[in-house]
Amino acid sequence: MTTTDGKRATYKQRYEPGDDGLRFQDLTYTGNFVGLEPVTDGIKGDKMLKERAQSGVLEKVSKEDVLKDQFTIPELNDLNNYLAWNIWDVLVMRATEGVSGMIPRQEYEILAFMHEFYRWPEILRMTTNEVGAQGLLDIGASARREIGTKINSVHDWCIGAVGFGMGRCGLLALEVIGPDDYVAESNEILKFMQRILWGKRQDGYILNSQDRYRCQIHEDDFLQQLVAQVEPLEADSPKHHAFTQFNAATELLAFLHHYDNRLGLGDTGPYELPDGNLLILRDLFVNEEIYHWSDVSADAKLPYSYTLAMIIDPEQMGLQEIRVNDISTTFTRPKNYVQAIIGGAVFAREKWDTPMGEVYPIKIDDLAEHLGRVQQATLKLYTKTSKMCRRDLIWNGQYVYYIDMILPHLRKAGTYEKACVDYDLWEIDQRVANYYYDITKRGFAQETVPSKIFSGAGYLPFSDKADLRSSKGRVL
Amino acid sequence: MADVLAEGYNVFDTKKSPSGTVKYLSSPADVITLIQSGKLQEHILLVRGGTTTFLAPALSMGAIGVITMSGAPESHLGILSREFQTPCVMTAYLTSSDSRYSVGATPESHFVEIAEQLDGKKVRLDCTDDEVGRIVALD
Repeated sequence: MTTTDGKRATYKQRYEPGDDGLRFQDLTYTGNFVGLEPVTDGIKGDKMLKERAQSGVLEKVSKEDVLKDQFTIPELNDLNNYLAWNIWDVLVMRATEGVSGMIPRQEYEILAFMHEFYRWPEILRMTTNEVGAQGLLDIGASARREIGTKINSVHDWCIGAVGFGMGRCGLLALEVIGPDDYVAESNEILKFMQRILWGKRQDGYILNSQDRYRCQIHEDDFLQQLVAQVEPLEADSPKHHAFTQFNAATELLAFLHHYDNRLGLGDTGPYELPDGNLLILRDLFVNEEIYHWSDVSADAKLPYSYTLAMIIDPEQMGLQEIRVNDISTTFTRPKNYVQAIIGGAVFAREKWDTPMGEVYPIKIDDLAEHLGRVQQATLKLYTKTSKMCRRDLIWNGQYVYYIDMILPHLRKAGTYEKACVDYDLWEIDQRVANYYYDITKRGFAQETVPSKIFSGAGYLPFSDKADLRSSKGRVL
Repeated sequence: MADVLAEGYNVFDTKKSPSGTVKYLSSPADVITLIQSGKLQEHILLVRGGTTTFLAPALSMGAIGVITMSGAPESHLGILSREFQTPCVMTAYLTSSDSRYSVGATPESHFVEIAEQLDGKKVRLDCTDDEVGRIVALD
């Protein structure tokens, strides 16, 4: 074991109402709360945001609330503030990572943010019209009995946090919209997000951070079927090594396949098992057929996704806090949970729509052959990507964000083809095409936008004069 | 006391303490060349960014230790280093220099100085502390 020897697990204290959680970082958040006590990360930060809300939208809400056609202005502002803090909470430290050396991520991200804010509203409205508000709740609920589904925390969160929050923030920073523009479109995006997430969680909350960073969405009988496949893993044994190496190598390919972002992975949990151990379920998507570069995964005969069931012994690692955050990633204190994995199982889903009854388990002793194919695909994709020009890398990455974030919801609603054919989903809006040349000027993509997005300074509120019916009346 | 050349964020606490010659990788071609040389495991890899795609094949093929000049344990490379159990020190700075990394405000000279000071040095990574990772000279 590591330096945690002898420490007892205290993580359950984090679930007591009076507990404020641990601090995972020293930084604090201000956002639109200038002049007030700075907001912390974690459970305490969530509490502070709820206390400062002007409406009840950050508390548990009812199905009746969710089915309402639109939010009020105070509700929109509360969601804007909460998402801005949540983005800071999960991304402020990640955002220190600098340039990739491989993929121009800041550039493709900002283009995608703005593209989403412009283009998603009419596509989400069409989808809502096709399936109805209840239909969106049902799409969210479908994740409760599936693994290998991109209807997951990060995709669902991205609808609002990225499409609305970062998209609006980027356009405000570029000074091409004002704070009271596109109110109706903002409402369309956020209502879509709320309905999907509420339908998935079914506890009244929409985000994991509202529930002390828990994403316990799966039905008990469904979980039991997965847990029944778990094999015990002894520390430092060949089996433990095979399982953890497969997890790491496959997660790496999922990152590369999705252009160095988190859309390729999805954790749920922690689920406490009867023996006191914790289960984390991790989906890793390594063959998304809509991308032309998925040919390397197809050549390696990789499935659409692998799902790993990981059993963690909280006592062995002296677990103090575990967060499954809203971008589907698990962080713990102490940080190293890998050596506390005492059991595991692996499943494969061949295609995105393969029925759950056809998802199959893979014995840990058989993982080596899969690992070889994952490594082969990784090397081929890396070589292929390294030969791409900057423009191709940026627009490929833009598509990963702009398409993939709503892809699972459109697929489930049966509106993806309609969005492609009737709404030109894969076309680039002229405004965004032109921004391609603007974003590298004056450090807009690499300095201005990250500072606005990750400091929270750019999420301007809607004013008292904002009209729920407003789009953009003039471009001057 | 061992000579600590640089310090930074420790991605995860581990008793693993890999040693090797620091190899600065500045381009994907450098990464591919190193993989093809068959000498990947003789080196501690030094990179500028904290993203994971740049080092993808090196991580996948068994890199023994990583040093970055930016990023944090929450960065994608931090997450993957944890999953691979590859000791990793992020946003490393030279103990002999006052220069520090600051997002969007770091001069090129900061990165150049670190690369020049560490590239080719024989070092060991000390990642036993919860927060601070250390790059220790072996020469």
